[in-house]
Amino acid sequence: MDFINQYLLTILILVPTIGAVAIIAHQAFWKDESQLKWLTLGVTVLNFVLSLLLLGGAQASANGFSFEQNSPWIPAIGSNYHIGVDGLSLWLVLLTTFIMPIAVISTWHAVEKRPLAFYAFMLVLESAMIGVFVSLDLLVFYLFFEASLVPMFFLIGIWGGKQRIYAAVKFFIYTALGSLLMLVAIIALYYLHLQATGTGTFDYVTLLGSISSGSLTFGGSSAYTGTLLFLAFALAFSIKVPVFPFHTWLPDAHTEAPTAGSVILAAILLKMGTYGIMRFNFTLFPEASREMAWIFIVLAIIGITYGALVAMVQPDVKRLVAYSSVAHMGFVVLGMFSFTEQGMQGALYTMLAHGVTTGALFLLVGFIYERRHTREISEYGGLSNVMPIYATFFVITAMASVGLPFLNGFVGEFLIMLGMWSSTILPGSWNQIATMAAGTGVIFAAVYLLWMIQRVFFGKLTNEKNKSLSDLSLREIGIMAPLLFLMVFMGVYPKPILDSSKPSVVEIQRIVSGETKGGTVTELNIDGPEGR
Amino acid sequence: MFENNYLSLIIFAPLAGAVINWFFGKRANSEMFSGAVACTAVGISTVVAFMIAFGIGTPHQGALFIPEGKPVLDHIWTWIQVGDFRADFGLGMDRLSGIYALFVTFVGLLIHIFATGYMHGDKGFYRFFAYLNLFMFSMLTLVLADNFLLMFVGWEGVGLCSYLLIGYYINKDEARRAAKKAFVMNRIGDWGVLMGVFLIFTITGSVSFFDKAVDGQAVQSVFSWVQNSANVSQADPFTWGAIFAGGLTSVGVLLFIGATGKSAQIPLLTWLPDAMAGPTPVSALIHAATMVTAGVYLVVRCNSIYQLAPTAMFIIAVIGAATAIFAATIGLAQNDIKKVLAYSTVSQLGYMFLACGVGAFVAAIFHVMTHAFFKALLFLGSGSVIHGMHHEQDMRRMGNLKKYMPITFFTMVTGWLAIAGIPFFAGFFSKDEILYKTFAAQGLGNWNYFLWGIGIVTAVLTAVYMTRMMVMTFWGSERFHQELPEEDQADHDDDDHHEIPADFKPHESPWTMTVPLVALAVLSTFGGLVGIPYALSSLPVVSSIVGEEANHFEETLKPVVKKLGADESHGAESEVKHFLAEGSSEEAAAHHSPEEIAAERWLALFSVLLAAGGIAIGWFMFAGNPLRKMPKVLERKWYLDEIYNKAIVDPITEGSRRFLWKGFDLGFIDGTINGLGSFVTEIGSLFRRIQVGFVRSYAAIILFGALVVLGYFIYYAYRTIG
Repeated sequence: MDFINQYLLTILILVPTIGAVAIIAHQAFWKDESQLKWLTLGVTVLNFVLSLLLLGGAQASANGFSFEQNSPWIPAIGSNYHIGVDGLSLWLVLLTTFIMPIAVISTWHAVEKRPLAFYAFMLVLESAMIGVFVSLDLLVFYLFFEASLVPMFFLIGIWGGKQRIYAAVKFFIYTALGSLLMLVAIIALYYLHLQATGTGTFDYVTLLGSISSGSLTFGGSSAYTGTLLFLAFALAFSIKVPVFPFHTWLPDAHTEAPTAGSVILAAILLKMGTYGIMRFNFTLFPEASREMAWIFIVLAIIGITYGALVAMVQPDVKRLVAYSSVAHMGFVVLGMFSFTEQGMQGALYTMLAHGVTTGALFLLVGFIYERRHTREISEYGGLSNVMPIYATFFVITAMASVGLPFLNGFVGEFLIMLGMWSSTILPGSWNQIATMAAGTGVIFAAVYLLWMIQRVFFGKLTNEKNKSLSDLSLREIGIMAPLLFLMVFMGVYPKPILDSSKPSVVEIQRIVSGETKGGTVTELNIDGPEGR
Repeated sequence: MFENNYLSLIIFAPLAGAVINWFFGKRANSEMFSGAVACTAVGISTVVAFMIAFGIGTPHQGALFIPEGKPVLDHIWTWIQVGDFRADFGLGMDRLSGIYALFVTFVGLLIHIFATGYMHGDKGFYRFFAYLNLFMFSMLTLVLADNFLLMFVGWEGVGLCSYLLIGYYINKDEARRAAKKAFVMNRIGDWGVLMGVFLIFTITGSVSFFDKAVDGQAVQSVFSWVQNSANVSQADPFTWGAIFAGGLTSVGVLLFIGATGKSAQIPLLTWLPDAMAGPTPVSALIHAATMVTAGVYLVVRCNSIYQLAPTAMFIIAVIGAATAIFAATIGLAQNDIKKVLAYSTVSQLGYMFLACGVGAFVAAIFHVMTHAFFKALLFLGSGSVIHGMHHEQDMRRMGNLKKYMPITFFTMVTGWLAIAGIPFFAGFFSKDEILYKTFAAQGLGNWNYFLWGIGIVTAVLTAVYMTRMMVMTFWGSERFHQELPEEDQADHDDDDHHEIPADFKPHESPWTMTVPLVALAVLSTFGGLVGIPYALSSLPVVSSIVGEEANHFEETLKPVVKKLGADESHGAESEVKHFLAEGSSEEAAAHHSPEEIAAERWLALFSVLLAAGGIAIGWFMFAGNPLRKMPKVLERKWYLDEIYNKAIVDPITEGSRRFLWKGFDLGFIDGTINGLGSFVTEIGSLFRRIQVGFVRSYAAIILFGALVVLGYFIYYAYRTIG
C-alpha cells in the first residue's frame, strides 16, 4: 500500500501505457482483435479504481502538492520528472480516469476498422492526459501536452466522419502552432532563471519560488518580457480551450471525431487549456495576467454569446453541442479571470460539470447516430414516442447543460457570475456590465437546447425511418447512469469538491491578484475549515 | 429561533411521490396507484403545512402567530459555500411563506384530486402525476426557501415543470412550441433574478431571508441589513438615475424583471396564454393559482428593499396597471374558454403588482390568495366543461350547458361573481382594497388617480368578459355543431379532435371533479371574510352579519411588511413614508380618520356599482348575440406575437445564421486559417518524397516551429552579447 501511495501518480500514468503495449503485443499470441475492448475496459477501470486512492489524501508538502515525486530526468539541463497533485489537478485527474471507461464502453459496437490501433491510441491518450494534469516540470508538461495531441489526431483522422482528414489536420495545425510558442516560452523561462539566479530550471515549483521571492523578475530584461511570455503560454492554452476567435477547429474536430473521441475531447482535452492558464499563467506571470485580464474577459463574453447564437442555428446536432462547448468554456475563462475565489472555484467546478454534461451529450448524440447514421436535426422529430428513455436522459442532460439549479451546471456558472460581479479587475461598474452580458448566455443556452429538443423529440413522428428505432439498450443506460447520477449529485451537494479544491484555488487567487501573504492569512482563517 | 425538522416534510413528500410514480408508475400501470400516491404525497404536505402554520401539535407557536413574524426554520444542509458567500439548503416558514404554503398545498391537493378524474384514460397518467408532484416540490421549495438562491432553485424548478406539463401532449405542435416559449421567456426573467441576487450579495453580504445561526455561526439576513436604520435613512431618491446606480433601486428593478417573466407581465406576458396548451388541471394549478403568483411573492418578500426604492415601486405600479388593462381588452375577444381565463389571470396579476407598486403589499397577497381560490375554481370549471364537451374548448360551440352540468354551472357562478367583484364574494374585498389603496397612495404626484382610473376601467372590463364567457358557455342555445369561420380552423387541427356525433349530449363530470369544484366554490364565496377592511367591517350592516371582526389577514402579515422608518422620531419623516400608501392598522380606529373611512366606503360602493354595471353590459351585449364579432385587433392580441417575432426573434436567428456563423465563423476565421494552412502545405510539399499523407503538415509545422525557436535564440544571444 505504501508503495502504491508513494508512486501513485506514476502508476496512474503508466497503467494505460502498459495496457497499450499489451494490446500491441497481443498479436504475437492471438490474432483476434475484436475482444481488445475488454482489455481496454479492464485497464481503464483499474486506473479509475487506483485513482480513487488519491482521495485518501496524503499530507500535502509545503508547496501544496501531495503524492509528489521528484527525480532527475535530464540532469544536464536540470529537467526533473516532477509530478504531484493539488486541489486543482486532483479533480481533473479523477475526471479523466472516470470518463475513460465510459468512453471505452461507448465504442462497444462502433469500432469496426482496426480496433487494435484504436484502443492503443485511447490508452496512450489517457496516459498523456493524466501526465498533463500532474506535471510540475515545464518540459515534462510540454511533452505530455504534445503527446496528447498525436493519438487524438489519429482518432479523428482514421475513425472520424466524412470530413475527418480536414478536421484532423485543422485540429493539429491549430494546437501544434500554439504549443510551439509555449515551448519557446518555456525555454526562455529556463534562461531567464539561469540569468537571474545562476541555475536554469524547468521546475514549476522552483520557478514559482524564485518569482514570489523576487529573485526572478521580468521587469529586468525588458518591460515586455513578462507579457510576451504570458501571451506565449496563453495562446497555446487559448487554442486548446478554445477561446474565441481560436475556436473554429472545435466544431469540425468534435463533429468529425468518433463518439469516444468527441467525449474525451470535450470532457478532458479542452480542460487542459483552462487548467494550464490557471496553473501556469496566473502564478508565473501574475502582473501580466492582471494586465491582460480585460482582453480575456471580453473574449470570454464574446465566446459565451457568440457560441450560443451560432449553436442556435446549427442544423447538425453534434455541431450544436460543439458550439455550446465554446459558450461554456467561455464561462470558465470568465470565472478564472475574475480573480476572485468564487469565480475561480466556479471555473474549476464548471470544468468538471462541463466534462460530465457535455460528455453525456456527445454520448447521447452518438447513440442516435449509431442507429440512424445522420445528425441532421431535420431528419428527426417526435422521437420521444419511440425512444422515451432516450428522450428523458436527453432532457435531463440538456437541463444540466442549461444550468438548471440542483443540476451540476448551475453551481459553477452561478459562482463564476457571482465572482465576476464582485470582481474589481475591470474599472468601475464594467465588472457588473460584463456579468450582465455573460448572463445573457444563460438565456441563449435555453433557447438552443430546447429548440433542438423540441424539433428532435416532440411533435408527431413523421419520418418513416424513425418509426422502428429501438430505445436505449442496457449497456447504453449503464453508461449514462453514472453520468446522470453525477449531474444530480454535483448539483445538490457540491461541498466535497469545493472544499477540497479550496486551498489550492485560494492560493492561486492570492498570487494572481497580487495580494501579499500577510493580507490573506486572516481571511483564510475566517473561511478555512477550522473557522466553521 | 424556532426549529422544526418536519418542515422539510412539506417539500420532500411531493418529491417522494414524484420519484415513486416516475420509477414504479409505469410498471404498476394503475390509475388508482398513481393517483393515490400523488394525492397522498400532497395530502401529507397539506397536513404538515397546516400543523406548523397553526401550531397544532408542534412544540412552538404556529408560524402564523410567532411574535414579530419570526420564522420556523429547518436547516437541511449547506449547499454552496465559497469565500464569504453561503447559501444553505434550508427552509423557513414565516407568516408570508406560511400563508403561501397553506393555499398552495390546499388548492394543490384539490387540483390533484380533480386531475385524477380529468386525466382518466390518458396513457401517460403516471407521468402526469410525477410531473405534478415535482411541481409541488418546486413550488413549495420556492415559497419555503430561507434564502434567495434556494428560492431560485424553486423558481427555476417550477419553470421546468411548467415546461414539461405545457408540453405534456407531446404530439401537439402547439404544445411543444408553447412549452419552449414559456421556458425561454421565464429564462429572460431569471436573468434579472440572478443579477439581482448578485447585487444583493455585494450590497448586503448575504442572501439569506432570515437571521439565523448555522453551525454555530450567525448569518445576518438581507432584510435586517436593509432595515438597519442607517441604511433606511439613505433610501434611494425617486429618480430615473437610481435604476442604474447599483443601489437598492437597481436590485428592485432586476428582481422585478424576474417577476415579469414568472408572472407574465408586460413585456414578458405572451407565454401564459399559449401555455393553455397543457392539460387543464395544469392551467389551474400552475398558470393560475400558484406559480404565476411567485413574482408577487418575490416582490412582497423583498418589500423592505422596495420601500427604499421608490423608482422601482413606481415602475411596478405602472407595469401592473398597464398589464391589467391590456390583458383585459384581449380577454374580451377570445373564443377559447381557457384563453379567456388565461388573459384574465394576466390581468389579475397586473392588479397584484399594482398593489405592490403603491405599497399595499398586504392587499397584493390577499388578492393572490382569493385569486387562487376563484381562478382555480374557474379553470377547473372550464376543465369540467371541456371534459363534458369531449375536449371542445371553443365557446362558440357551447351554450346552454347549465342544463347538462348543474354542479359545474353553480360553482362557476360563484367564481364569476367573485372575480367580478360582487360583495361579499372573496374577490370583492381584495380587489376593492387594491383599488382603494391605489386611490389613496401618496407621493406619486397625481399618478395615483390615473392608476386608479385604469384599475376601475379594468374592473368593468373584467365583469364584461367574464359575463361574456358565462353567457356563451352556460346560457343561450345549444351550438354543439356550430361551423367555425374558415380562418380559425387552422388553429384546431390537432388530430385528437373528432367530429361530434349528431346526438351528442354533454354530461356532468364525476365526483372526483365536482367535489374539488364545490370546495373551491365555498372558498371563493367565504374566503374573503378573513380580510375585511376596517372601513367595511365597521359598517353596521356588515358587522351585524359577520360581527365586528378585525382584519385577520392584515394583522397576520403586518410584521412581514412593516413600514421602514416608522419607529424613527416623528420629526424625521423620510421620503419613504410620504411615498408609501397609508398602511392601515386597525387595532385602533384612531389610525383611520373619519374622512378616510368615508372615502373608502364611497369607493367601495362605486366599484360595486361598476361591477354590476359591467355584468349588465356583458349580459345585454352577449345574451342575445353570443357570437357577436369582436374587433380583430383584440382577437389577434394586439399582434404582440407577430411584433416580437418580426422585431426580435427573426433578426437574432437570421443574424446568427448569416453573419455570425456563415459569414464570420466559416467565412472569415476559417478562410484565414485555411489560407494559412495551404501556405504551410506548400512548404510541406518540399518534403513530399519522404513524408506521405497529412504527416507532411506535421513535419512542416515542426520545421516552422524549430525555425522560430532557432530564430529566437539567435536574437536572444545577439541581444545578450550585444
